[in-house]
Amino acid sequence: MAAQITELTFLEHLAGRFGIPVPEHLTDEATGAEIRAAMGRWGGKAMVKPDIMSGRRGKHGMVRLAKDYADAQRQMKHVQGTEIDGRLPRTAYIVQYIPSDMEIYTAIKYDSRYLGPSITLSLAGGMNIEGIEDKQKITSPVDIYKGFGAYQAGELLSKLDCPKKIINLLSRHLVDFWDMFISTGMRMCEINPWRITPQGKPYACDFKAVFDESNFKFKNIGFDLPEYPANVTAFEEEMAAWNASSYRGQAHVADLGGTSILPILFGGGASTIIIETLIQNGVKPLFLSDFGGNPPYERMFGTAKICFEHNLTKTKVILILGGKANNTLIDVTFKAIADALQSYVDTNGPINTPVIVGRGGPQLVKGLLTMKDTLELLGLPYVIFGPDTPVTQVAEYAAKFTLACAEEENS
Amino acid sequence: MRAKKLSDLLKAGDRVAVSNITGREASEVTVRSQKYCGNIIGGWALGKGGQFLEVPGQEPIHIYSDVAELVKNLPKKRQPNKVIIYSPPAAVYGEVKEIIEHCGKTVETLFVITEHVSIEVTAKIAQICSQANIDVIGCNSLGMINTHDAVRAGAVGGRELSETFIPGSAAIISNSGNMVNTMASYLLSAGLGTSYGISTGKDTLILTSVRDLLELARKDEPTKIIVLYVEPGGFYEKDTVDMLSETAFPKPVIVYITGQILEDTELSLGHAGAVVDGEITSASGKMKLFDDYFGVKPFDFSRKYRKAPGLVASLKKGIRIQTLHHLPAAASLICDMIGIERDFRPSKPLRLNPWFLDYKELGKHLPSKLLLHKGIVPKPYASQVNLFAKEMVGANPPKRNMRNASHASSNDGVTTRIYGNSIEEEMKNGSFVESLFLSWTGEKPKQIEVDLLEKCLVASLTNGAGTISAQGAKLSASAGNAPNTAMIATLACIGDIHGGNGRKAVEYLMRIFSNVNIDDPWNPKHGIDLQKIVNAEADRFKKIRNAAKEAGTEYERIPCLGHPVFRDKPVNYDPREKVITDYLEQKHMVNLFLQFYHMLAFRLKEIGIAKNVWAVNLDGAIASVVLSVCWKALKEKRLTFKRVADIAFMVFALGRVAGAGGEFLDHQDFGMPMDMRIPVNEITILGGQSHINTDNAGK
Repeated sequence: MAAQITELTFLEHLAGRFGIPVPEHLTDEATGAEIRAAMGRWGGKAMVKPDIMSGRRGKHGMVRLAKDYADAQRQMKHVQGTEIDGRLPRTAYIVQYIPSDMEIYTAIKYDSRYLGPSITLSLAGGMNIEGIEDKQKITSPVDIYKGFGAYQAGELLSKLDCPKKIINLLSRHLVDFWDMFISTGMRMCEINPWRITPQGKPYACDFKAVFDESNFKFKNIGFDLPEYPANVTAFEEEMAAWNASSYRGQAHVADLGGTSILPILFGGGASTIIIETLIQNGVKPLFLSDFGGNPPYERMFGTAKICFEHNLTKTKVILILGGKANNTLIDVTFKAIADALQSYVDTNGPINTPVIVGRGGPQLVKGLLTMKDTLELLGLPYVIFGPDTPVTQVAEYAAKFTLACAEEENS
Repeated sequence: MRAKKLSDLLKAGDRVAVSNITGREASEVTVRSQKYCGNIIGGWALGKGGQFLEVPGQEPIHIYSDVAELVKNLPKKRQPNKVIIYSPPAAVYGEVKEIIEHCGKTVETLFVITEHVSIEVTAKIAQICSQANIDVIGCNSLGMINTHDAVRAGAVGGRELSETFIPGSAAIISNSGNMVNTMASYLLSAGLGTSYGISTGKDTLILTSVRDLLELARKDEPTKIIVLYVEPGGFYEKDTVDMLSETAFPKPVIVYITGQILEDTELSLGHAGAVVDGEITSASGKMKLFDDYFGVKPFDFSRKYRKAPGLVASLKKGIRIQTLHHLPAAASLICDMIGIERDFRPSKPLRLNPWFLDYKELGKHLPSKLLLHKGIVPKPYASQVNLFAKEMVGANPPKRNMRNASHASSNDGVTTRIYGNSIEEEMKNGSFVESLFLSWTGEKPKQIEVDLLEKCLVASLTNGAGTISAQGAKLSASAGNAPNTAMIATLACIGDIHGGNGRKAVEYLMRIFSNVNIDDPWNPKHGIDLQKIVNAEADRFKKIRNAAKEAGTEYERIPCLGHPVFRDKPVNYDPREKVITDYLEQKHMVNLFLQFYHMLAFRLKEIGIAKNVWAVNLDGAIASVVLSVCWKALKEKRLTFKRVADIAFMVFALGRVAGAGGEFLDHQDFGMPMDMRIPVNEITILGGQSHINTDNAGK
């Protein structure tokens, strides 16, 4: 899961820092008196929203308009306790209702067409940008060195026939928007919508952003990203921490919720292809993995150990598979995996999980023979392929093999 | 772009410099690239200026402190025109600026291998390099290979490049570095080699995109067909298909697009830039773009394609494959339909070819169609399998932190155990030798083996007070030391020359027998043609001995053959070894390794290497016994080879250190202090030292 934030974090940490006008808000820590006072200030209307990591606008109807203090209290409890896409919100919060005749969409991201950042504007805010016709939106590249200036913003808004009375103020806030984007190491951020009051004052009324975790500015952002409940499994969490502990070799996993194949896969491309092939052939693996990048022994041993500790009791088959590596040393990585498997058995007792292996690359034969020796020693059934058998064929075979194992188990 | 054709990105004669050349991956890849094509003119690494990167069999590569120093020190003709960047992510931007500043006029292409470069930095690199008229492949690229020119930048092709990259007609352009190599190897079975393999990288911003590369491939002569590996994310393929359609691209393209299956999930794929941002950047969107352009449905392996004008017209544009192993078949279809000549004869079609398998009990329960037969390990791997199989006799156990762990012993507060065996039970029912071998190997020897090992230990106790090891104990006693010190002194006097021959003998025997299928080395009916092995070994020894003598050089002796005392009879025996041989005879058994030694001694006499039949000494007997005791565990990979060799040494050392105790006690009781001192007048003063005042010497 990429590092990303939603509106509440924006309201609490970023909007004020960058001078972006936002509605007032209260969190669930606010007292009844504070909510009552705020509702009074806000004209008796407020929006109650869940803080949840969901890409969908409207959060499945869980963004509620509260018409008075009691309603706000009730809605808070309801929103806080209602699952969206199978997940509970981290919390709920109340936002000042901003009356508006006009909503504007804005987004900044790195754009493959310009090999740099671009800004997209539309006067048809409040909708998913995908649903807006091309003629109603405008995308313009931003010079990575010069940045986004108020004149450029004003020009773009003019092209969209934005009412003149709001161009000046909004343009300046779009510059603030850019400053936030470039100063915090974001890869994408969106304010959708800006609600424009009848007096022409813009308010940023919803927000999402994804950070570039490789950008040092993000590493020094100055606040902790909130943790969302049930976003990651204990396995994913441990592997993510292990991955972050070193830059040598990847240790990426994403839980898929499957039950039958424990996949130890190598290479960003090959791992995707293999998972896709397994699923197409009717088998959902436990997780998606990419352990390439020529990891040294200790790194690969640790990675495999975490995989086995969390998943070996759940799986029917272990699949160790990758394409023909350019750089990754097969003897080193396979020795580490074999040792991790042996270590698991030493600690937890014997297993009888069959192992299917396919790989190519430097020091291949030594690596395959090392793996074979350990599998022999542990008495596990195995089939080992070299690089002359395509990964997709091995994955197809592994899927059929797994289904047969499951059938045998059931019978 | 600066480049006008693919070869402008990399060709023979290019001068390649490498940043952060001493890094783990950079140094390894650079050395291999230099051996493959010799195009590296130097590199730099912070704080490593003045050092060299050694390249076996070639001139070492000079390492400079930074790019400025490299440029300053290299003559004009050797200035780099390509640079490979391996610097850490945080340093990449600075490196690029330095390169532009110091050699921006000569450098044409940068290959940024570094992963995790921030998108902001990538965008900045794109802009400054565009202004400097430098093409950038990457970031997070694996590099590229120009197969016809036999040059590469980066790690594409791995270590054995020529195994996969044979000059041919297909250019591979891939978001995944691994897939360049993998697809090139699959194409071989269709009779297609490669012209170029290019890893574009798959960060959010790809600085030389597939569209740019296809433009360069348009007029590239060797390239007749192009293979693309594509992941979701980015507008690159939309731009590509627009260009293909608008410019009537003249070469067929085979495209494989992955990632569709995860479209409705929030999962991120392997590469950083594989992030869907709108329909057209999704795998499905990209598939549709290409399918519409090709005008033919994705390749169907089961369909029989008949030549028709419509199909030929479509295949001239290309076809999409839905699974990777259909690549050779799709490539063959295009070649056949539109008349592209294969580069070489197609090999066997891709198929499931297991190199090793053992279904064990599971095989009884699986459907027969899933039970594969062991396949054929293809060249060049087959010879390696044999080679490594030989090397891998003996266990290859997992390594772990042993600070607070032991297999050998345990104590739960009540019972002390050796490899799980209660020491009390050992005391009641076992023997010292049996328990000793349990402790050393984790397994108890058979009774006959215990008997033989005991004989070895007894024989090792002493070979007289004059031996170096006994002298160690006597010297120590003479100096007034305690028994433990004297015993250590004996151990300190045992080394490779005195006492270490047993270890050498095990190594020697393993070299000869590791590939011989011996079930039981004690069995007289072992079924091994020992004479054949003996003759081959004697011939080998004769050859190296004669060659060494002719050249006047040293040669490796056969360990444990010959004895300084038992040497003058026509057939000689070490009497201690004879005890062991006789005991075996008495028990109607043999020791295959000892038998080998005796036969070898006779054979060496027969072929004129020795004047008489040399004795097999005690070390040879110990080695033969220990190796036989451990053979089964060694063969079944329960013991390491090193452990067995060390045990042979330890049998002698343990026997001798016990014997040293005897020398110590004797010397302590009956000797005088300092009586081992050699009087000054018995010391020979060697040339050049006569001016030393001998009156004070020796105090």
